[in-house]
Amino acid sequence: MIKTGLSRRRFLQATTASVALLGLSSLQVKASEEEKSAPVGEYYTQNLCEMCFWKCGLVAKTVNGKVHKLEGQKHCPSNFGKLCAKGNSGVFQLYDTDRVKFPMIRTGERGSGEFRKATWEEAVAYIAEKSISIRDKFGPESFSLFAHGSGEHSFMNLMEVIGSPNIVIPAFSQCTGSRDVAWVATYGKPVGGKEPVDSDNTKCMMLIGRNAAEALHVGEVQEFVSGLSKGAELIYADVRFSKTAAKANQFMMIRPGSDTALVLGMINYVIQNNLYDASFVDSYTTGFDKLAKHSSQYSLEWVELETGISESAVVKACESLAKAAPHCYIHPGRRLSRYGNDVQLVRAIAILNALFGNWDMPGGFYTPVGANIKKPHMVEIEHHASHERADGAGIKYPMAPKNLGLANKMIEAIANQDPYPVKGMFIYGTNLFHHKADSSIVKKAITASELVVTCDIYMTDTAYYSDVILPESTYLERYDPAIVTSRKSGYVQFREPAIDPVHDTKGGWEIAELISKAMGYENEFKTIKEFNSLLFEAAGTNEEYMKTNGCYVKEAGEPFPRATGKKPRFYTPSGKVELVSSKIADLGYDELPTYTGVPRPADDEFRFLFGRTSYHTHARSQNNSWLLALHKHEVPIWINAERAEKLGIKDGDIVKVTNGKNMSGELVAKVDNLIHPEAIFTPQGFGHESTGLPRMRGKGARTSDFCSNDTDPISGGVGLHNGFVQIVKV
Amino acid sequence: MNKKYAMAYVVDRCIDCKACMVACKAEWEVPEDHFRTHIDQGMKEDFHGKTRMDFLPSQCNHCDDAPCVTVCPTKASHKRDDGIVYVNRNRCVGCKYCIPSCPYEARFFNHDLGVAEKCTFCLPRLAEGLEPACATTCPGNVRVFGDINDPTSEISMVLREAKNNRLKIYKLREDLGTKPNIYYIQN
Repeated sequence: MIKTGLSRRRFLQATTASVALLGLSSLQVKASEEEKSAPVGEYYTQNLCEMCFWKCGLVAKTVNGKVHKLEGQKHCPSNFGKLCAKGNSGVFQLYDTDRVKFPMIRTGERGSGEFRKATWEEAVAYIAEKSISIRDKFGPESFSLFAHGSGEHSFMNLMEVIGSPNIVIPAFSQCTGSRDVAWVATYGKPVGGKEPVDSDNTKCMMLIGRNAAEALHVGEVQEFVSGLSKGAELIYADVRFSKTAAKANQFMMIRPGSDTALVLGMINYVIQNNLYDASFVDSYTTGFDKLAKHSSQYSLEWVELETGISESAVVKACESLAKAAPHCYIHPGRRLSRYGNDVQLVRAIAILNALFGNWDMPGGFYTPVGANIKKPHMVEIEHHASHERADGAGIKYPMAPKNLGLANKMIEAIANQDPYPVKGMFIYGTNLFHHKADSSIVKKAITASELVVTCDIYMTDTAYYSDVILPESTYLERYDPAIVTSRKSGYVQFREPAIDPVHDTKGGWEIAELISKAMGYENEFKTIKEFNSLLFEAAGTNEEYMKTNGCYVKEAGEPFPRATGKKPRFYTPSGKVELVSSKIADLGYDELPTYTGVPRPADDEFRFLFGRTSYHTHARSQNNSWLLALHKHEVPIWINAERAEKLGIKDGDIVKVTNGKNMSGELVAKVDNLIHPEAIFTPQGFGHESTGLPRMRGKGARTSDFCSNDTDPISGGVGLHNGFVQIVKV
Repeated sequence: MNKKYAMAYVVDRCIDCKACMVACKAEWEVPEDHFRTHIDQGMKEDFHGKTRMDFLPSQCNHCDDAPCVTVCPTKASHKRDDGIVYVNRNRCVGCKYCIPSCPYEARFFNHDLGVAEKCTFCLPRLAEGLEPACATTCPGNVRVFGDINDPTSEISMVLREAKNNRLKIYKLREDLGTKPNIYYIQN
């Protein structure tokens, strides 16, 4: 890794003047738009990116009425002036001719793709009439919502107005849920969506299956590269030599599903060799003696047997981390919906971190600085849902938060109409067919629903099976309530439209309000402008500032309180870092992480793994030509060279995967020794069924068709990586 | 002294995210499936037999002795005083000689406009006081752009610092005598 600072630019000082001009030109064009003359000239508007969920601040440059270019807001702590490939391709998405351009109502069978064009009045009236009938027959709890994206609160509020508890944010069960449950059990709070690892100041970081370079959240990767450039050591364990591995000082190819064994072995080695921070352990943790006794069973010989990683490599990793401690971290991971035992894996990771005393320390974990802003509400809601949730979140799975729910369990509850009828399904910005393991269950849930409404910008596979499609304006065409974000400082981010909607679309808030009113509810929705004024005032800023700067950064707080002698507080039952978790013990599960092996594929099978590439997000971006051109419209599948040779598959061959039930579309074999022989890997988000996504329809694999549908017993989150497939040459 | 624009890549900072490629595409409305810059991926084994993966950004090298300028029959391709190799679209007749002449494969034919196309170091952005789009967007801060005739420019300082730290500084295919102006800095 490069060891020089080679730090940042002075070149852009010259641009401050041009930024100051923005406000003025913006006003001029807005005025001319009101007169409906063709807009002429350039202007700039503020926004936050919606191409993934990191929410990078951006400025949109519009030339003669057309959005020309997006660039990062220089001072926004999410991304400090940068945008990734996805962010840059937002312009293509805005003008993509395959967007849903007007409301649509289904005319054929569900999944036939037969729709008719409708007006907004028709579509809203249709939804309201059906919804009223469902509510009157089955009660307010008979609605479900699956939502993801910065506009998700619009439909969440609609559900609250109706009085349904069944609001689901799939980002919990399908992504970070198991991780956050483990962190709550150990440290008393979740990791959070912007992982507070201080890569910038770290001396040694260890990532376990966290492919930071390709998961690519701009702020995260900036700090990652910055830390490496300052000489930080990177230890990386994964089943695949990804682009993150390219940056690693120590790469360990690990047998899929054995991560917990590796971490338990490390805990044992660190304790046995006194490499831990005894002062931190004494002051701030409980259960160390029990942990030491428990972990002593995990010898390095055993680790090697389970993981395939040599004893010397594990020793080296432990020594590197211990040498750097407390300026080191072991990353908690992000999408921990892997093997159905993920809570215990992250528990082990949490414990190993605690042993190095890196809490609230530079180079370890920082405490996100809140902006301490009292946020207003868009809608005042007096009555709250009286029914229990249908998915078991907070009940059968007590550690799953009721405000996020369990998407996997909710879809099953709807499919089986158990424990009670859930007949009206609303979907905002998410795609059940691609995130729920086993699409046959999604189909069953849709069949069991009397009304399925999707609000999205594209005809996704889920929209394709819906009764009504409500086309949303993209983030570049709408206002949204400003948001408050916490990293090393707290900040407010602002979204305003760059242009009027290109098509007959509306923003989520406007749509939610229309449906609410049409159903006869009298709840007042604030305008976004009203909401923003209140929020800006509470934050100590104003609209003018936000229109010029896009992002308001409150004074920096104190992200490393322990470094200045402050005692950390842990909101666990004991008030300490719980190496032995009382919460998990209360639920009847292992209070200390144990290792349970995962099912192994048969000799002719591969474990089906999927993940991100740097330039696509989930199943949302695969119709974007600018991004498709980056990989020549090909969907790769990584296959180990020895295994491929036995099957007669050569690099570049066209193959398909099958699990007996489903067959994928065409994939291009990437044959080398960079992936574990047990597994194959393909990027998520391809294999679309919808005819509305013509560019990549049927190409690649819809990953949900091939992964497992296991459940982590503690979090209720899904385990997707125990699916087994065979590969066939085309 | 005239300005001499150049770019340095701090190669080890690159994660092959391809943001540069798309930013450039957006800024210049580069035709579908073409790019003015790209990133090559290299795999090799190091001295210890370990796998190494390198990412090498690439674009027009704005050569001092540019083959594309030499072969251009209409002088559409020319070397400007500020070091930028530029294609004057009004003079380009679309003969395509320049395309195979470039050892860096930096050019392609724009079928919509009937002209040869390549990186301009974002000349119109420079006039506005902006950096090239690729450098502006690069999340890894790989790309350092500026005037190498100005010792106080960032690129001059970065190259000096790299030299003082005995990092490897090289350019592509210097053996061809094209005198390229893209500097690669690597540990």
